[in-house]
Amino acid sequence: MDDPGAQATQDVEWIKRAQQGEPEAFGPLVQKYQQRVFALVFHLVRRRDEVEDLAQEIFIKAFRAIRSYNFQSSFATWLSRIATNHCYDYLRHERASRVSFYWQMGEDSQREIESNAESLPADALNHEEQTVLKDLVDRLLARAPENDRQILLLKELQDYSVEEIAEILNLKPTTVKVRLHRARKRMLDDLRQWRGENKGHEL
Amino acid sequence: MNCEEYRTQLTGQWGDGGAEEVRLHLAHCPSCAQYYRDLRLVKAGLYLLKNEAEPAPSLGFAERLVRQLGDLSKAPSVAEFFERVGRRFVYTALVLTSLALLALALPATGPVRGLTVADIQTTTQEALLAYSDPIGESNVQESPDLAPSEAPAPTGSNEGK
Repeated sequence: MDDPGAQATQDVEWIKRAQQGEPEAFGPLVQKYQQRVFALVFHLVRRRDEVEDLAQEIFIKAFRAIRSYNFQSSFATWLSRIATNHCYDYLRHERASRVSFYWQMGEDSQREIESNAESLPADALNHEEQTVLKDLVDRLLARAPENDRQILLLKELQDYSVEEIAEILNLKPTTVKVRLHRARKRMLDDLRQWRGENKGHEL
Repeated sequence: MNCEEYRTQLTGQWGDGGAEEVRLHLAHCPSCAQYYRDLRLVKAGLYLLKNEAEPAPSLGFAERLVRQLGDLSKAPSVAEFFERVGRRFVYTALVLTSLALLALALPATGPVRGLTVADIQTTTQEALLAYSDPIGESNVQESPDLAPSEAPAPTGSNEGK
C-alpha cells in the first residue's frame, strides 16, 4: 500500500463507493486524512478544545457533498477547501481579544524579545519568550481581516505552496501572491497601530 | 525611495536579507527599523505557531464518525427533506410551465395545429355547399350548430306537403 499510484486507485474506489452513499467506504478516507484536517483546523482556529468537533463537522459535510467531488483536484485539496470554508464560518463568529501578554510586559522586556527574535532563531528563545510571542502573533492573526487571516494561516502555518492555496481558495496564483503580500503588510501595520494604542493606554 | 517603498520591499523579502540600500535606510530611519523589528518578531511568532504540536484525533474518531454517518444516512435531515421537496416542486413547475407554453404556441404555429372555431365553421359550410339534395328531403335547419343565416337554402323544399 506504500505505492502512491495504488493508494490513489484505492482512494478512487473508496470515493466512488462513498458517492453511492456507503458510510463504511468513507471510513478509510477519514482515517487517511484526519490528521491533515486536524492540523488545518488547529492552525486556522487556534482552539485546541474545538478541533475535534470542527473536524467531525467537516467530515460530515464532506460526506454529504461527496457526490459533487468530480476528481478534478486531489481529494486532499477538495477536503481542505471544505475545511477552510468551515473554519472561516466558525471564525466569523469569534471576536478577537485586545489583550495580549506582550502588552503586559515592560518596555524593556518587549525590547529584549524583539532583539532576540531579530538575532536568534525562534527555537532559541526561552520558554517565556516563546509563549509571549506565540500569544502576540496569535492575537494579531485573530485581529486580521478574514481574507488576510485565511491566506496567512494557509501559507505561514500550514506551509501550503502558492499553487495549493490558489486551488483551495479558487484564486489565481498571482492573486494569492498579491494578497499574501498585502496581508503581511497589513498585519505589520496593525502591530504598529496596536503598539501605539497600548502605549497610549500606559500614559 | 521613501519609507513606504522601503517597507513594501522589506515585506516582499519577508525578512530574508535585503539590499544594501535598504540596510542603510534602516540604520538611519528609526520608524522603518521598528517596522523591520516587528517583521522579525511576527515571523518568529509564526514560526513558533507553525511548529506547535497539533492535536491528534482521539482513539476511534473515524469509527465513531462512520457510525454517525450511517445513522444520518438512515434518517435524512430536515434540510435534505426540504431540499428534495423543493427540487420536486421546481421540476413540476418547470414541466407545467413548458406544457402551458406549448399549449399556447401550438394552435398558432407549426405544421400541426388544433382546430379553431373558424375552421369548424368553414368545414361545415364547405360540406353543406358540396352537398346536393336531389329530392329535397333533408332538413338542414335541424342542425343545431348551423346558424340560420349561414345555412344554404334547401333546394326543393317540401314545406307545401
